[in-house]
Amino acid sequence: MIRAGWHLINPGVRFCLVALAALFLASCTTTTIDQYRQGDTGIEGHESVVILGRRQGAAYETREEFVECVGDRMGNGRDGVNIVPEQLFVDALFPWFEPRTAPMRSDDLEQLMAQPLVPEKISEFGIRYIVWLDGETQRTNEMGSISCAVGPGGGGCFGFGSWEDDSSFEARIWDVSSRTAVGTISADASGQSYMPAVFVPIPLIARVEAKACNTLADQLKQFVIGG
Amino acid sequence: MIKGRQSVNVFTLLLLMILGGCGASTVTVQGNYPTPNVPPKALTLGVYYPDEFRNFVYTEFTDRGNEEYFVQAGNSHIELFNTLLPAMFQRVVVLDDLAAAGSAEVDAVFMPSIDEFQLGIPAKTRLDACEVWVRYNMRLTRPDGGYIADWVMTAYGKSSQGTFSSTERGINDAAVASMRDLASNFALTFDQIPEVSDWLNARNNAVTASRAN
Repeated sequence: MIRAGWHLINPGVRFCLVALAALFLASCTTTTIDQYRQGDTGIEGHESVVILGRRQGAAYETREEFVECVGDRMGNGRDGVNIVPEQLFVDALFPWFEPRTAPMRSDDLEQLMAQPLVPEKISEFGIRYIVWLDGETQRTNEMGSISCAVGPGGGGCFGFGSWEDDSSFEARIWDVSSRTAVGTISADASGQSYMPAVFVPIPLIARVEAKACNTLADQLKQFVIGG
Repeated sequence: MIKGRQSVNVFTLLLLMILGGCGASTVTVQGNYPTPNVPPKALTLGVYYPDEFRNFVYTEFTDRGNEEYFVQAGNSHIELFNTLLPAMFQRVVVLDDLAAAGSAEVDAVFMPSIDEFQLGIPAKTRLDACEVWVRYNMRLTRPDGGYIADWVMTAYGKSSQGTFSSTERGINDAAVASMRDLASNFALTFDQIPEVSDWLNARNNAVTASRAN
């Protein structure tokens, strides 16, 4: 029945549908996860994790939205862990986690915990792990062009555009109880997006950053749960 | 006749819109500043905000020399220091007049000023961010005006283009970020300024000696 229906479609339209389906499949994302464990992990029900974005570099900053995405994903599900929102933690611990003052290495954590008022604040939140996220998504290989025109009889667009997104993020996990680094997880994702336009632009977007977020968050969750 | 009047009205309206679009935008910096987690020093600090500091406005010009943005940052700086200083010192007295310092029973008088303010906006820098860089001059004196310390501090703040809806919003966010940067640096380095450190040590020694006697 479906085959019969398929044959009834105009060959030109059929070609377009096949081309669109091919592009849709091509706009998928490939992700690579790499994990390095330095110590044992585990988390109790009353303990929590804070995920912080690195913002020291002049060239780029880890986007707040990505940090939020990883936190939301880690906090969801039956095995979800308690996540302390980044801004709430940074404000409560002011001025110790600002871009200029934040500890850069796990050795600095020992020094930070020796400061008055800091250990009390951290234990108020029940923080067991501090996760530092560092990375960005870059757009490369932008090609093609789309022209749009509007006239008295209507308007439309014609053309084709494509680009590649590459996400590269690294999560460093510090155990507050032992004041040591317990591991590093890196996530690299890339994908090609297409935007054909025949009267109307049809975006076929590879959700590269979302994929990097989900994969990294799932891996991070399993890492801190341990076992 | 009516059509003619309507045309004049439409023309006037268009002219006003064009002129309005050409005018400079004013950004009044607004933000929230958290209280620092540092132990308060056993000092009563007088703070005096000079008029140039209270009413600080930075003007950004276009490449043709026309006024483009007015950044009003005076009030926000006062809000910042009024949050920061009471957490850093046991008691803070805001002085309306420097001459009142002697009778206000303060240990020292702090006076901040803005030496230089720089603004970077995407339209000019071609970067995906608004940036604010500020150089401050901080001055600490005895209640009688005698010198204790005078030092320079710089602050930097950035807001990425993806996070703000307009350039005005981006300027505000970058200015607030730079003020947080100033506050964090000030709170953690105040007693590391060599002259301040010497004065604090001398003061502590004098207090210890007077208690021993």
